[in-house]
Amino acid sequence: MKLNGAEILVETLIAHGVTDVFGFPGGTVINLYDALYDYQDRVTHYLTCHEQGAAHAADGYARATGKTGVVIATSGPGATNLVTGIATAYLDSTPMVAITGNVASGLIGKDSFQEVDIVGITMPVTKHNYMVKHVEELEEIVREAFQIARSGRPGPVLIDIPKDVQQAQCEFHGGMPKPLLPIPRVSEEALRAAAELIDASERPFVYAGGGLISCSAGEALRVFAERIDAPVGLSIMGLTALDSSHPLKHGLTGMHGHYVASKMNADADLIIGIGVRFSDRATGSTSKYQAKTKIIHIDIDGAEIDKNIDSVISLVGDAAEILPRLTEMVKRRENPTWIAKADLHRQESERFLAQEEMQLHDQDPQAKEEQQLLAQEDMDAQATGLTPQEIIHMVRRYAADDTVVSTDVGQHQMWVAQEYQFCLPRTLLTSGGLGTMGFGMGAAIGASIARGSARTVLFTGDGSFHMNMNEFVTAVTYGLPVVVVLFNNGSLGMVRQWQNLFFNQRYSNTTLERKTDYPKLAEAFGGKGYRASTMKELQAALDAAFSQTEPVLIECLIDSDEKVFPIIPPGGSFDDMIVK
Amino acid sequence: MDKVPEVSNFTLSIIVANRAGALSRVTGLFSRRGYNIDTLTVSPMVEDPTMSRIIMTSSGDEATRKQIIKQLDKLFDVKEVKLI
Ligand SMILES: Cc1ncc(C[n+]2csc(CCOP(=O)(O)OP(=O)(O)O)c2C)c(N)n1
Repeated sequence: MKLNGAEILVETLIAHGVTDVFGFPGGTVINLYDALYDYQDRVTHYLTCHEQGAAHAADGYARATGKTGVVIATSGPGATNLVTGIATAYLDSTPMVAITGNVASGLIGKDSFQEVDIVGITMPVTKHNYMVKHVEELEEIVREAFQIARSGRPGPVLIDIPKDVQQAQCEFHGGMPKPLLPIPRVSEEALRAAAELIDASERPFVYAGGGLISCSAGEALRVFAERIDAPVGLSIMGLTALDSSHPLKHGLTGMHGHYVASKMNADADLIIGIGVRFSDRATGSTSKYQAKTKIIHIDIDGAEIDKNIDSVISLVGDAAEILPRLTEMVKRRENPTWIAKADLHRQESERFLAQEEMQLHDQDPQAKEEQQLLAQEDMDAQATGLTPQEIIHMVRRYAADDTVVSTDVGQHQMWVAQEYQFCLPRTLLTSGGLGTMGFGMGAAIGASIARGSARTVLFTGDGSFHMNMNEFVTAVTYGLPVVVVLFNNGSLGMVRQWQNLFFNQRYSNTTLERKTDYPKLAEAFGGKGYRASTMKELQAALDAAFSQTEPVLIECLIDSDEKVFPIIPPGGSFDDMIVK
Repeated sequence: MDKVPEVSNFTLSIIVANRAGALSRVTGLFSRRGYNIDTLTVSPMVEDPTMSRIIMTSSGDEATRKQIIKQLDKLFDVKEVKLI
């Protein structure tokens, strides 16, 4: 059967189980869009407002399901608009296939209209990328792209297709998708060595991350941690690997990790890192991080081993395969003294916070009076104001366990990571690696579509929301029940917090003197909008939001001086943690 | 406390698929990750014209050398990396 390049592409997408794609048309993909018109009963194309939003939507679609997300853009500005989205997927290892049109082969290299070297531009932020020179190689390239995107450590792959290649005809073969590339099996000896080290350790600590989500090894992690009675800390990418109610789960570790998780991490004599890259945000100073502990590193990507930290033993492979085997080999044990340490740290942290209040009472009378005044103001604020933590807890009560939550980047992201009680894998979508403000809106849309127009919740800040708020329109267009919970602190809060703590309160360009009326904006875009400055108002807004199927925005007014604590200053260690 | 890492020169033989972009993938990896390229030659392989051999000299401590090899190995156009 002879087909043109555009048709071959769509047929091959269908052969790979693709039912939804995100994108934005233009001159060099007009042939592809023409083919999509023919196939619209089998592939739904979601038109976003901006290619970046489409890329984040494809990314969110992939994160919520594990399937490969697909995004399409035209050449030139369409392609460059994808770059942040591709880099976001790359840094968080999300499987994605990005398809761009390019000018016709004869025009390439001539600075033609809307010509950019997108293959060159995206080389450092893709697992692999292609420029298709001949229509005959297209089908094979697409099959290979899907294979690469999901094999081993997942990631984005870009295929750039000149316009004439989309038009040219050739024989379509219609082969099956390629199997994922094999992952080498870890040897018995290596596993045994790891098991011995674990058995010999007194204070083992499991530090797990996004790798566990990619290979669906959350359950294997639970069984393993229970077997050796080891506390578990998670990177933001791995936060949903274990149910928050699990007694061994101590939640987020790293720069804004929980006090107890950080302390246990620091006290450990053995850290078992699984599906993590020991990024700087997770370790702080690497020399201090590894000074008093041994490290076993388990990861699917061999290049992660000894890249950021030195491990004593490394196991390169699929955690879903390694963990059950390791669990069999290690001794079952209970470790009450070690586990009790966590309780000690918990009391310690409570004492710290209480001490802070005590100190106020010891000050000189005038300062004391001032403090009391401030405290009174605080109380007044509490009567009307909202704290980020309260908002998150309240939203959690409305959301179902399987509701997908996405975030943007900043303080609100960290509060969600610290406070929201996640139960199921793939329910938190957040830009952990690149830290992309504007990620959340697209991701919430992609996740909603991936889960059959399910309700999703976006937690965002006033800064981040302004970056990609245009995609609220996309949620309206497709009738997706996305609930946007916007923390309005009138500032770029996270940067302001750093300026407060480390730059003598010199608030350079972080105060947002904007006049945006968020509820009105939501209404103008065709959704519903509410403003909440008290718990009562928030509840009323959430009642409304969770009982309707259109997109809703809830603006929550919070104090601009709310901070994310604990914080480990950049380059510091767990000992440098600032608690309050 | 921190050991002072010993820097040395080394030579790599890298076999890559003879495809557009393969060379820039290899050199791009070096600049992006802050590795040095001291010298570099590329020639098609007589045994297999679909492949090219890159001979490259670089320098760095042992950890860097190991990372370079592993990162190169991850590139899909790279078929083989050897320290020679
Ligand atoms: C695209 C992008 N630009 C800049 C930054 C740097 N940055 C990190 S957090 C932050 C502030 C975010 O403000 P907002 O979205 O209002 O969230 P808040 O911290 O106030 O909760 C900025 C500017 C970033 N992460 N991403």
